[in-house]
Amino acid sequence: MASSDTANTAAAAFDPYELKDVVSGSIRDPYPKMHELRRECPVHTGPIDLGEGADIADPNRPAPVTVFGFDEVVQVLRDNGTYSSSVYEGVMGMVMGRTILQMDEPDHRIARAMVAPSFRSKVLERWEEELVAVVVNELIDSFIDRGHADLVREVTFNFPAQVIARILGLPRADYSNFQRWAIELTSVAANWERGVAASEALRAYFAGVMEERRAAPGDDLISDLVRVEVEGSTLSDEEIYSFLRLLLPAGVETTYRATGNLLLALLTDRSQFDALYNDRTLYPQAFEEALRWEPPVTVILRRAMRDTTLAGVHIEAGADIALLLGAANRDERKYTDPDRYDMFREIRQHVGFGFGVHVCLGMHLARMESRVAINTLFDRLGEFTLDPDAEVPHIAGMAFRSPLSLPVVFAAR
Amino acid sequence: MNEPLDVKIDWDRCMGSGNCVFWAPQTFDLSEDGHAVVIDASATDEERLRIAAEGCPVGAISLWRGGVELPAGEES
Ligand code: HEM
Ligand code: SF4
Repeated sequence: MASSDTANTAAAAFDPYELKDVVSGSIRDPYPKMHELRRECPVHTGPIDLGEGADIADPNRPAPVTVFGFDEVVQVLRDNGTYSSSVYEGVMGMVMGRTILQMDEPDHRIARAMVAPSFRSKVLERWEEELVAVVVNELIDSFIDRGHADLVREVTFNFPAQVIARILGLPRADYSNFQRWAIELTSVAANWERGVAASEALRAYFAGVMEERRAAPGDDLISDLVRVEVEGSTLSDEEIYSFLRLLLPAGVETTYRATGNLLLALLTDRSQFDALYNDRTLYPQAFEEALRWEPPVTVILRRAMRDTTLAGVHIEAGADIALLLGAANRDERKYTDPDRYDMFREIRQHVGFGFGVHVCLGMHLARMESRVAINTLFDRLGEFTLDPDAEVPHIAGMAFRSPLSLPVVFAAR
Repeated sequence: MNEPLDVKIDWDRCMGSGNCVFWAPQTFDLSEDGHAVVIDASATDEERLRIAAEGCPVGAISLWRGGVELPAGEES
């Protein structure tokens, strides 16, 4: 969710196969460097080099700040009066319009309350069987008789976009256009003009769909949004376009990566694969530990509204602050053996979904989608394993991280 | 034997994330207006209750024993 103006988003490209060429070996594991910098001080001012080269600091702006410590990240996210989300107004605001992501209180609270009911776990139950399971089963159908598959290319990369399309109630014929716009919008950092064009195309497309839903409401998210009313106020068309566009980078990119990271963790540690395979009630801790160990969104941003200090470090009013969720989630002052994936660890708190008032709105959807995907894979493929003839997969990327491929074998059926 | 835990939710802070319901569905529920409510404090083991309290993104959940608030992250 980092905007490209401060983060190095070489990894922001959407297609993992394109990404392969961009992602260099040096960003395979940014964590040793993060540990080193955190040990020096949990908060740093000035440009930081995590292996991709440091950004050039703008001498006319307050020195940027990077936060590496768990407690410090939580402290910033709790204090949303001092640390503002308006930092996202720039790039994100231009492509997406004004969304809850960039609002501060009290506007944020009011706007979030309008959309929040549609994302409660009870409400999502209606989509679990008829929709998410259907999407995953269809994807598996296409390779089940083959005995091998690349789970990134053939499952994880595809299912969240299809789930969102169906939650929005889009007609099947529109899926491919929708997914293309979603990819182009999400990779706006790599190609600005294409991203802006996709944003406009989506706006025009959603305008048509909204008109239909006003005339004939259905059981879908767009119908919910055009009808919602909280304390007398409703959402304007512009607010709905913006929110729907935000769902693409926020809900598609993230869920696909999170599911891939969990699968990689399981496939490279057989005992933990077996534990979950044999006891599905372990899923919550298995998924949350994957989000701690390799959060798909490794950095989020805030801006200081006044002069302040954090962990004894002075922060100037107006400074942009990068919160390294990945570094916070592996803070050795909080977790023992932080670099290890261990679904049985005692401390389960993490900031993979953010923290504070902007904590991920889609967390229940992401958890449900990923659970259905993993359970369906288990149920249909049986005990699948990494393909012994393929290269062992690894997680790569900087602002966004996930495996580029997950080649597996299983008993064909 | 320890006295049972009491769970309190600060409604001025709770923003209805539902994170507590995820970790301890037998203890927490979301009301119609989007606030967490405690349905049964004793229905979840203490370890899970602590995870739910620590995971609340706005620090709205506090745990109490015998009228005394437990410090966050206290071991047993
Ligand atoms: C595992 C998958 C996901 C991860 C790791 C994730 C991560 C995050 C993070 C870190 C934030 C906080 C951003 C900030 O404070 O600056 C956030 C916010 C948000 N997420 Fe997610 N997300 C995921 C899935 C989803 C899904 C599936 C949706 C919806 C379909 C979604 C919608 C949102 C929205 C709307 C916000 C903004 C909330 C606000 O500003 O109040 N996310 N997410
Ligand atoms: S986790 Fe906290 S903010 Fe979320 S519903 Fe529970 S009490 Fe409310």
